[in-house]
Amino acid sequence: MVDALTRSMRASHVLVAILVSVSLVIAAVGVAFDDTFYLRLATEALIFAGLALSVDILLGYTGLLSLGQALYFGLGAYLSALVLMVVPSFWAAIGATALASALAGLIGGFIVNRVRGVYFALITFGMAQVAAKIVYNTRALGASDGLIGVPVIDINLGIVTVSSASPAGFFLLVLAMIVILYAFAAYLLDTPFGRLLIALRANEARIPFLGYRTMTPRLAAYVLAAMIAGLSGALYPMLRGFVSPELMFFETSGNAVITVVTGGAGILVGALYGSALLTLLKSVIGSYTVHHLIVIGVLFMGAVIFLPKGMMGSIRPAIERMLARREPK
Amino acid sequence: MTTTRTTLLAALLSATAMTSAAYAADPIKIGVVTPLSGTYAGIGQQVKWGLELATKEVNAKGGIMGRPIELIYEDEEANPAVAVQKAEKLFEVSKVDFLTGTVNSGSTLAVGQVAERAKKLIATTVSFADSITGDKCSPNVFRVNAKAGQQSTALAAWLAKEKPKAKVFFLGPDYLMGRSTVAAFKEAAEKVGSVSLGEVFAPLGSKDYSQYFGQIRAAQPQVLYTSVAGNDTVRLFAQMEEFGLLKNLTLLGASGTVTSQNIGAIGKAANGFTTGVGYSTEINNPANKAFVAAFKAATKADPDLYGTDSYGLIYAYKAAVEKAKSTDTDKVRDAFRGLTWSTPQGDKTIRAGDHQAMQTMYVVQVTDGNFKITSSVSGPDAIGPDTCTRF
Repeated sequence: MVDALTRSMRASHVLVAILVSVSLVIAAVGVAFDDTFYLRLATEALIFAGLALSVDILLGYTGLLSLGQALYFGLGAYLSALVLMVVPSFWAAIGATALASALAGLIGGFIVNRVRGVYFALITFGMAQVAAKIVYNTRALGASDGLIGVPVIDINLGIVTVSSASPAGFFLLVLAMIVILYAFAAYLLDTPFGRLLIALRANEARIPFLGYRTMTPRLAAYVLAAMIAGLSGALYPMLRGFVSPELMFFETSGNAVITVVTGGAGILVGALYGSALLTLLKSVIGSYTVHHLIVIGVLFMGAVIFLPKGMMGSIRPAIERMLARREPK
Repeated sequence: MTTTRTTLLAALLSATAMTSAAYAADPIKIGVVTPLSGTYAGIGQQVKWGLELATKEVNAKGGIMGRPIELIYEDEEANPAVAVQKAEKLFEVSKVDFLTGTVNSGSTLAVGQVAERAKKLIATTVSFADSITGDKCSPNVFRVNAKAGQQSTALAAWLAKEKPKAKVFFLGPDYLMGRSTVAAFKEAAEKVGSVSLGEVFAPLGSKDYSQYFGQIRAAQPQVLYTSVAGNDTVRLFAQMEEFGLLKNLTLLGASGTVTSQNIGAIGKAANGFTTGVGYSTEINNPANKAFVAAFKAATKADPDLYGTDSYGLIYAYKAAVEKAKSTDTDKVRDAFRGLTWSTPQGDKTIRAGDHQAMQTMYVVQVTDGNFKITSSVSGPDAIGPDTCTRF
């Protein structure tokens, strides 16, 4: 017998499997047509999907609205760029980012978890703005110009070496990376720890009566989200060859929240589909009208009004029912 | 709902496929990645007007080597992360031959790197950070507008002539561009014999500047240089006037300090304000008069620095392609190096060593609410040393 929450998570896995299959087809078609732009655009969509994933852990599971997740994304991006410019090694960049974003998440977590609700949103927003302004004014980090000249790297995966300049190769690598981050988050959220987070969102005041501390799981969720955002950010300079302070601005954090709400909050997979849809729409609509932000805004409002559970949140119950039917009685 | 969305998506995708299909006339495609929405949309508008006017003129006279120019726009939202994505789209999907339009320096540098990897050329007509043709120069990036250093050199040359050994005080906005413009002018002014008395930096968007006035008054400067901009200038100048600080003080500033947008709000406190610029509608030559008239007729607005530099770029590209007899990247790059062509601002020459355009710089002074040209500095005197080491 499988309980409802585990079944829901399995339904998310099914949706991720569909996304991965579609991505593999896209990669194959891209290679067949010798495409560069659309593959790299899809890679960017996946990278921002990682950021949205981290927002969903906080918003959808723990019930904490972070308006400053770009802080950790930007930290990962800048650190990865700096590491790559000294040692052109994928693993060095990823390792350094994982450590630094965990540490930054721990420090930031102690600050923001002292408050709840709207104050949490404001403090996360404030911290990201402060960090963005510091980067914007620090000459050693390229200040407002950002850092260019991040080299193209060869990523040694043991059996095969992938160049970050190869559109299809790097797309598949980022896909693998994001799926690993998803799987890691999904695994953790399906353990008692994850149940505790869901309970936190529902009624934090009652958690201590069940014998749990509330600070520890909140902090752990925040650190986990910071690491996922940081590791996604670390992939950005490998794709684009530069970083700029705009990556840490509110626009980036806000877009991640819009992505999660449009795709569906509290189901993890919504972040991935939301990012794919929004990135594609922005790129395509932006070429036809300068009023693309209106289109995104209307889409967001429509999603909130007509699909309050988001795109995938509305589809997932059907898959859950299907999985329930196939379970042995 | 989902069906409608899918249909819409399919329609949009097929439209993209159609635009990338080959044309019979085989035009030369120039990509324009410029801010069409957001804070910098006003600059993007001038860039667009300037490019379109020049393209219309060139196409009416038979295009470049018989091929018409086609401009393809993308909105970069003044965000380098968006700009690189749009630039890549223009290079890979639209297959543009050349690209321009980037406004903020971060976008220009990042798009320059995309161009290097795509083996294409770009030019900026707006970004003025010295690094673009200095320590971060790229063999694939050209700049046809004046950089920050050219503006401060022109102004310092004027200062040395008008007020030799002037005692100067500096007041800038407290952020990187503010501090670097002050540092650049300070260096240029000290080189021509000015004495620096001190400097203060006020936060961006300050409401009250009077807290700095005691320090300024005690230093007894003859000249105040400021690089504040927009509404900050309005407040600074109005408060200085109230406190009687403007008497016997010459006001100098960055080219963005007093503009047609805030000059009305500053009123007579702006009188006598002097700055160095690469363009003014007042430039007295037949080419500029014809250009201003044509620009006004087409857009019902005056051209500014950005519109004029963008207009000139189309003629530079035309000259380079005709000299190279090809749109091939390497051949056009060679043709650009040392190229001299005529613009409404007079002849410009691209320095081969760093891809920076040399041009006559103008010193303009506000007189009764209008900008009047008081003197000019020749191109070679204003450009400064070549600091690019990459090529």
